[in-house]
Order: sequence, then C-alpha cells, then structure tokens
Amino acid sequence: MSVLQHAIVVFSLISFGYFVVLNAVYLVFTGIAWRGVAHHRHLHEFSGAEEAFASPLTPPVSILLPAFNEEAGIVESVRSLLAVRFPELEVIVVNDGSTDSTLRRLTEAFDLAPVRKAMRSTLSTAPIRGSYASRKHPELWVIDKENGGKADALNAGVNAARYPYFCAVDADAMLESDALLRVAKPILDDPDLVVATGGIIRIANGCHVEHGQVIDVALPRSRLATLQVVEYLRAFLVGRMGWSRMGSLLIISGAFGLFQRSLVAVAGGYSTTTVGEDVELVVRLHRYLCERGEEYRIEFVPDPVAWTEVPEDLGSLARQRRRWQRGLAEALWLHKRVALNPRYGVFGLFAVPSFFLLELVGPAIEVIGYPTVIAGAALGYLSVTFLLAFAVVAVLVGAVLSLAALALEEINFRRYQRGREAARLVAMALAENLGYRQLTTLWRVLGSIDAARRRRGWGEMRRRGLGYAPARGASRGR
Amino acid sequence: MSENGQPLILIADDDPDILELVSFRLERAGYEVLQARNGEEAVQVAIVRRPDLAILDVMMPRLDGYEATRRLREHDETRRMPVILLTARVQEDDIARGFEAGADDYVKKPFSPQELGSRVQAVLGRR
Amino acid sequence: MIEELGWVSGALALLSFLLVCTLAGRRVTLARAERRRVDAEERLRPFALGLVEGDSISLPPLNAYESRALAVVLTRYARQVSGAALARIGAFFEDRGHVTHELSHLEDRRAWRRASAAHALGGMAAERAIPALLKALTDPDRDVAAAAARSLGRLGALEAVEPLAYALRDGRLPRAVSAQALLSIGPPAVPRLRDLLADTPSEVTVFAVDLIGLLGDASDAPQVMALLRDTSAEVRAHAARALGRLGAEEAANELRRALDDRIPFVRVNAAHALGAIGDAFATLALARQARVDGFDPAEAAARALARVSPEVLEAVASAPGAGPHLAQAADVAQVQA
Repeated sequence: MSVLQHAIVVFSLISFGYFVVLNAVYLVFTGIAWRGVAHHRHLHEFSGAEEAFASPLTPPVSILLPAFNEEAGIVESVRSLLAVRFPELEVIVVNDGSTDSTLRRLTEAFDLAPVRKAMRSTLSTAPIRGSYASRKHPELWVIDKENGGKADALNAGVNAARYPYFCAVDADAMLESDALLRVAKPILDDPDLVVATGGIIRIANGCHVEHGQVIDVALPRSRLATLQVVEYLRAFLVGRMGWSRMGSLLIISGAFGLFQRSLVAVAGGYSTTTVGEDVELVVRLHRYLCERGEEYRIEFVPDPVAWTEVPEDLGSLARQRRRWQRGLAEALWLHKRVALNPRYGVFGLFAVPSFFLLELVGPAIEVIGYPTVIAGAALGYLSVTFLLAFAVVAVLVGAVLSLAALALEEINFRRYQRGREAARLVAMALAENLGYRQLTTLWRVLGSIDAARRRRGWGEMRRRGLGYAPARGASRGR
Repeated sequence: MSENGQPLILIADDDPDILELVSFRLERAGYEVLQARNGEEAVQVAIVRRPDLAILDVMMPRLDGYEATRRLREHDETRRMPVILLTARVQEDDIARGFEAGADDYVKKPFSPQELGSRVQAVLGRR
Repeated sequence: MIEELGWVSGALALLSFLLVCTLAGRRVTLARAERRRVDAEERLRPFALGLVEGDSISLPPLNAYESRALAVVLTRYARQVSGAALARIGAFFEDRGHVTHELSHLEDRRAWRRASAAHALGGMAAERAIPALLKALTDPDRDVAAAAARSLGRLGALEAVEPLAYALRDGRLPRAVSAQALLSIGPPAVPRLRDLLADTPSEVTVFAVDLIGLLGDASDAPQVMALLRDTSAEVRAHAARALGRLGAEEAANELRRALDDRIPFVRVNAAHALGAIGDAFATLALARQARVDGFDPAEAAARALARVSPEVLEAVASAPGAGPHLAQAADVAQVQA
C-alpha cells in the first residue's frame, strides 16, 4: 500500500470511529436529558410559579439589556420586559454608544429624565456618558455610555444593578411573561447553592407577535429556519439539559440567563476580549468556584422561554455560526488549563475535554473525513457499497437523534400544536443530515480557524424584522 | 344597574375557577354578573356596561388590579364605582397600594364565598 | 460488515417509524382524552359549585373517569376558597374515600406516587392527613418532602411550623417551598415562630424572624428588637428587616444604633427599616451613612432618607461632598415627584 492509500484508509477509520463515539455520546445524552426533562415536568405540577410571584421572599432581579443601534425594536423590547411577571424587578438598558436614534426613542417612549446614578466601580468599562430615570416607570433605568461592545455594556449594567441577581437579555429576545419566574426557580429553591440558570431559546420566525409577545406559536415558512427549529430543540432539550444534569453546563445563552450579581462581579465580570462572552463567563464561573472548593450548581431550566429571530439566509447564518464557534473556541482556549485537571471535578475532567473533542476537533475530523472517504472510494481503497451503507446508517442515526429531541418536545411541551407542523418537523429531522448538518459543520471549522487567526468583530445579520414575512405576523416596533 | 333592575357586578380574574365560583355565588344572591379575563378587558367592560361594583384580581396579566383600579378612577363613568380587590398578597404594603390606587376594600385569597357576598352587599349598601 | 450495516439501517428505520407513529398516535389520544375531560368537567361543574355553596347534592352514579374529573375540579376550587366552603369540600373528599385512598399512597414505594399523594392531600382540606404529611416531610425524596410541605402549608398545620423552620435551615426542602408553606399557615404560626427566636441555632432564628416580619404585628416588635443585639450578624440583619416590615416605631432607637454595626448588610437593613418606619430622628445619621459608607449601605441610606424626608434629602444632596448616592436619590425624587 502506498503512503497515500495508507493515509486515506487510516483517516477514514478515524472518521468512522469518531462517528461512532460521537453518536454514542449523543445517545447517552439523550437518555440523561430525557430523565431530566421528565423530572422537571413532574416537578412542574407541584411547582409554584404563581406562589413565587406572590411571595414576598422572592429575591428581586435586575434585568440588563445591552443595546447597540436597536432603534427598530428597542421600545417594544423594553415594554415587554417591564411587563414581565415578577414581584420586584428593575430594568437597566445600557445604550452602548448607539449611533442611531435608540436613545431618543427610549427618551420619548418612557419619558426619561437625566439623573446622576451611583455606579459601582467594581468592573472597569468604557466611559459612562449619562444615566436616565423614567418619570412613568420608576423601575426603569437607562445608562448611556461610549461604545465598548456587548460584554462591556453588560459590565456597566452589573455595576449599575441594585439587586442580588441580574438577568442578561438580548434586545431581540422576547421573554415570555413568566419566563423570569421559571428560570429563577432553582435559585429560589436553593439560593445558597445555585448561582446561575439559563432557559431555552425558541425560534420566533413565523410566530404571530404582538406587543413584543409571541401570541401564536407557528413554524417558520423558510426551510432553513425550520431546520434551525429542530437543531435548537436538540441543542437545548438534549444538549443543555444533559450537561446541566451532569453538573457541567458550560453555556448559558447571552439572550436569557440569570446570575448572582456579586459572584459575577468578583469573578471579573464579562470578558471584553472574546466574542463568546456568554460562554466564557460561565466557564470562568465554574473555574472560579472549583478553585475555591465551593459547592455550587449552574442549571438549565427547560420551560422558561425567550423567543428570538434566527437568520433565514445562508450568508447571515454562516456568519452567526462562525462567530459562535469562534467564541466557543476562544473561551475554551482561554481556560484550557482546567482540561483533565481533577481539581475541577466533572467540569474539568469531563466537560471541557469533551467540548474540545466534540466541538473543536470533531468538526475538523468531519470536514476532512468527507473528502477523504469519498476519495478513498473513488480510488478503490474503500468499498463503495460499504460507504453507501455507512452513509445510510449515518443519516438514519442523525434522524433518530433528532426525532428523539422532537419526542422530548412533543411529550413535555408541545408548543407546535398543529399536526401539519409536527409533520414538517419530522421531515426536517430526517432531512437535517442531508446537507444542513454538513454545512453547519463546515462553518464551525471556519469559525475555529477564525479563532486561531484571532479575528475580531461581529459581522452584520441582515435583520428582516418579524413583520417582513408575508401574510402573518404583526411587525415589531415599526 | 342591569336591565331587570338587579345590581350588576363585574368580576375580573385570569383564573376561570375564580370567575365560576364568584359568579355562582353572586348570581345566587340575586346579582347579575359580568366576567372579564384580564385588566384591560375589565376596564373596557366597566366603561361600557357601568356595573354597580367591580371585583378585580390583583395579579392579572396585561394590566394588574392596581393599575386597572387607577384607570377606572380616571374615567368619569367609573370614577365612583366601588372596587373590591382580590389578592393573595396581604402585606401591609400591598394593602396600602390597593387603597392608594383607589380601591374600596380587599378580600384575601383563598376567600370565603360567603364572606365575599357579605362584603359585596355591604359595599353596595353604602352607596 | 455491509450486511451488519444493513441490519442496523433497517433497525434504525423501523425505530424512527415507530417513534413517529407513537408520537402521532399519542397526540390523537391525548386530544381525545382532553375533550372528554373538558366535557366531564362541564357536566360536573354545577355539582361542584353547588357543593361549595352548601346545597344538598345528589350525585348521579359516576364512573371512575367522572369521579376523577369531579375530584380535579373540587381540588382546584379548594385552592381558592376558605372557611365553610373549604370544609364542605373536605367533607366530600373524606366521605367519598379519596383521603383514605391518597393516605395509603403516601406509603407507596415509588417516589412519584408518594409525591402526588402528598400534593393531592393538600387540596382536600384533609386535616386528618396532617400527621402522615409531617412524617412525609422527612422523606428521603426531595420532591415528596416538598409536596408535603406545601400541603401542610395549605392545611394551616401549626405542628408543621417548627419542622419547616428547621427544614429551611437544613436545606432538605427547597427554600421557596418551605418559606411559602409557612406563609400560607399565616399569622396563627407567629406564636410558634416566636418560640424559635430563643435557644435555637441562629440559622433557624433567621428564618423565624423573617417570617415574623411578614406575618406578625406590633406586639411582636419587642422580642424582635432584642435580637438587634444578637451575636450573629445574620440574626441582627434579618431582625432589622423584620422590624421595618412590622413598622415598629418603637424600634427606631435601636435601629439607629444598628446603623453603626460593624457588618455592612446589617447597616443596609437598618437603613431600610428606618426608611420604612419613617423615623424623622434618623435623618442626620442616614445622611451621614449615605455620604461616607460603602456602596450598598450608602445606597440603602439614601433611599431611606428619600422616604423619610424628601426635604432633608434635597438639602443635603446639594451640599458639597454629598456623594453619588444622595445625588441619585435627590435626582430621582425630583424626576418622579
């Protein structure tokens, strides 16, 4: 056998082996997540979201909303946050040096007046230009500062926040009215133990939205967005639930996460040097608490929902995924010391190495594997029939895993009520592996490369606005 | 006042059980009952139908009981309408809030239907 | 190898198919069951309402399904009503054997069954279930204990006050559940809570004093005031907060003294309490704390001053060296006047 032949065969074997390992892990995760979600559902019947709302013992929360050039939807976002059901909260909008009319619209809509707000100096941020209070809504604050990026804006919010917990939200995320109560539940139950929680992000494309609230849940028209619906369900209900149950939740979405303020402040706040500041913070919190030998939990709660819009064109989606991957790679690389280090428990010994393997190395193996394997078959080193058979199995395994995630959704939440939508989701679960998955893997590899080359910046997503879709959907903030 | 001369009472709560229980009791007692599922609806119905009394749950979505009471006090048609608040939160602050918003009385949840009936009678008798 | 792959493919395809069929079938059956349930409830609701009102009801014979539907409706009603109406619901459940049925399930070896039984008993106004529920508070499964706690709260079981307060400390129960259960028991729990203020571990005292703040009245103030001199900072802090909630004006002196406490969060709570009470004599001390203290105590003092005396606030805020917290409080007071 020539060297080339040798190389191709070996790498093909590696690819196949990786495939088996990866899917075995996903399968185990599905099992763990299943128990987690079912357990949560039983609890939910006895849970007391209403009681928490009525209880004077529920700790107050500061909602932090970093905003950059959000004139289109900022007023609706803030309105819907002010309407969140929670006994005591404040909403702090951090205007991160917007160059559009964001601040003006806020001033008009909420009757803002300048005040001198006292801010802690725990976290250093870009200079603050001014603070505003609302005549109509005493719980609303707006901090105006020079542009410093999302992490910097969040840090300013952490400095300004009054309450022991803060909830970081994205400007385009629409929280359901009792989402905050539900995501706070683990903290309410064990305030000495649980330091951070995250909820589920669901896709708003195609949903009927009114006054910043999703009134009717529906699937997007676009196939690309519907594929993402399946993907998100798998990522959250299986992925995050699984990791959470194992005590190693590494990712709490920047769009919707609840944190203990003083802990985040003393751990250094959000990092402004990475584009994945949400991941990096959670990893750092794990690290910080492990290093101090403190008992803690960071949990994923599957039922509180933040609805958000996802890209419907390939260009924006690619940019988004590359950016996510870059953020993840940067965050993991920053904390690589914890990998395989017993001082960091399950988090260090298992979670971080797994992420390295499955999220960073894995996509690379996949991307190189496809052409290798095809070349191998073309050159006669691998049997074509075997390859085809394997491909069929691969697609089916992927389909089963996605169907399992859909089953989790169906049994526990059933947000998509219409039969036709359920059928469409099933079809997408089957089709996901016929191209979409491969594309996302490619983008992830590109994202890792970007990280290695230390690229900076965000890229724009062509924001359609929910009103763009023909026929249904009330527009948001137009 | 309803068409047949019976006192007309508005009950607003997002919980359908409360609506059923209160309606049943009040209808038994000879009143006519209007129902609303949230604060906004309550204010709209009150302005149009001009009930003799409004019973509002405090914790309703969209517009809570306090805010709804305040709105009723702003409109000429409903300014003097008696309002009873139904609330599970009975800290002093919450009670004070209710009166500041313009309510006339409050009933704690869980409530005794009988007592609610007496309160209604008392409040209506005062006007 | 290929043949094995063929088998695997077939198995996976079959699995997918079965999964989809099961879910689809499940949807259909659930929808049907839901409709039946709604119908049954519609039919039985007049009986339920009549029962609550105290009519003498003659129920037609019900099958198991309808019996369950009626129980569900009445349990929901039981959550909303008190007094004679609640007692009537309780009597119904007792007479029809539901209470006995659920009590037997409290001994089930499956945790979820015990939990649902503990939960159900709370909705049946079943006072005779209290001893069994107290025992369930120590169940090794946390969900069972939590359900028992909530039910004991709804039943107003005074015997549960002490176990619940200790459970709060031990963390065996979710904190929110234990606390809410105690709140549900309401003011009748206060005497027992007062017993827990002395000769008990300080963590238990902390919870007891918190709840007294929420449930008690002026007569409880003296005993809580004494705790302002406790050796434990947590106790002092929570005592201060409770006094604010109680609106205990006679505690003003002691609270002003607590503004000099070594521990910041005691100072925070003392300031907050003075603001709630509206103590006019505290204005200078509050102004000083707002000027010189650390972030949280200073902020609390400034807010308290805004509540006690907006005029003094305006005056001190405009003085040089007033500091950011007084400035904020004054600006906000002006904006939201």
